Amino acid sequence: MTLTADDVHHGYGTDPVFEGVSLTVAPGEVLAIIGPSGVGKSTLLRLLALFDEPDGGAIEFGGEAVWDVSERKRLDYRRRIGMVFQEASLFDASVRRNAEYGLRVRKPWSDRLRHELATLVGRTNGTGDAIDALETVGLREKAEQDAASLSGGEAQRVAFARALAYDPEMLLLDEPTSDLDPRNTAVLEDAVLEARNRGIGVVIATHDMHQAERIADRVAVLLENQIIEVGETERIFEMPRDDRTRKFIDGELIY
Amino acid sequence: MPLELSVLSPLVVDFPFEWNYIRSIIRVSLYVSITAVVLSTLFSIPVALLVGFKDFRGKTLLTSIINTGMGFPSVVVGLVVLFTVSNEGPLGSWDLVFTPEAMIMSQFVLAAPVITGVSLAAVSSVEQNVRDAAFAMGGTRADVALVTIKEARYGIATAVLAGFGRAISEVGSVLIVGGNIAGSDGTSVTRTLTTAIQLEARQGRFETAMILGAILVVLVLIVNAIVVRLGGDTGGNR
Repeated sequence: MTLTADDVHHGYGTDPVFEGVSLTVAPGEVLAIIGPSGVGKSTLLRLLALFDEPDGGAIEFGGEAVWDVSERKRLDYRRRIGMVFQEASLFDASVRRNAEYGLRVRKPWSDRLRHELATLVGRTNGTGDAIDALETVGLREKAEQDAASLSGGEAQRVAFARALAYDPEMLLLDEPTSDLDPRNTAVLEDAVLEARNRGIGVVIATHDMHQAERIADRVAVLLENQIIEVGETERIFEMPRDDRTRKFIDGELIY
Repeated sequence: MPLELSVLSPLVVDFPFEWNYIRSIIRVSLYVSITAVVLSTLFSIPVALLVGFKDFRGKTLLTSIINTGMGFPSVVVGLVVLFTVSNEGPLGSWDLVFTPEAMIMSQFVLAAPVITGVSLAAVSSVEQNVRDAAFAMGGTRADVALVTIKEARYGIATAVLAGFGRAISEVGSVLIVGGNIAGSDGTSVTRTLTTAIQLEARQGRFETAMILGAILVVLVLIVNAIVVRLGGDTGGNR
């Protein structure tokens, strides 16, 4: 289903962050949101992930305004979205338990209790989907390790697997590789492309232009509280229509 | 040469209590303190989560009350509980004066601020981005609260131990509301290890007071070990 921000206005106190932001993400496409630090990329992703209700405008999933529906239905929508943050933010548990988290919270409480009891006596193996997701980021063999023992890059890959494991329709990635070395960055970018091939819509907020060029189908440029331009990646980088886009890409625009 | 028992006699403590009596004191002590701590924990953790993560009017005042409660004099708590359960008090019809249940009430009042205060510090230290991750993966408010409790489990285990320590080592309030009563059959009704120690020491039976003290210390050690094991479990299955 399509995820849409329609004329979104939002701010903190009297300071506006967005003044009429609109964008659409389709299944099976990668949309990169580029813009300087502090422009509100993370805030926009949090709105798309249904963390916060926008002050004005609408967030729509499959054409339905998600803040106009019941809390139960909004939870259903929320559970069709995965998110990875700039920091891995793993739980103090094993890699497998981290990867299974999204699957676990979707189960009825009775099943969860049974699973927890089975875990206490050591009678569980990883859920297939979680192990597959770990395989996607090349960390299947570390499933039983404590998450705290992982390197920063490995932890971020587990965070990606954790979001991928429950097979979301949309993945929102907030600067997921900004603290990673080139090898871990490459692994994650491959995983993003694999998610796209599985029909998952991906929104990636990044200030890394090269990353946007490498993996995005379309690019949205967030500047001055608005999406000033959105289009095919190649077109945005080769022939930007807005002069501010060109200046930002060329590094002439200093914020 | 056969060993004469009289040779060993200086090493054998002349134990003045019946085992039934000792067992009944231990049973009353554990019943009162464990029940009070379990109830306090069930009350305190939701309060700690609420105070830790919700903004509301009076939050600073409530935090100050919790912190003040951590050092509240136990005899004052005993007096207040005694007035509450006495015939003229609001719970007078429940007939709780000099019962283990009244002692549970006073220990609840003493342990709850300690467990709440230490748990509050523990849950407040759980990073916002970990709670955000639980929410983003589709967690409900209850799921996020559970993740917070799991992340703060070492601190919460410490809180429970601190609360248990305050409850089981407490003398003043249980003496006031319980009355340190032993029944006509020689077993404890409201006599705990601490009040029994106080009685024995006052009557000059220091050896027996020491033995009861040793039992109390061993009990605290055992409970510590159990809680640390449960709260501080490590390994891959969390």
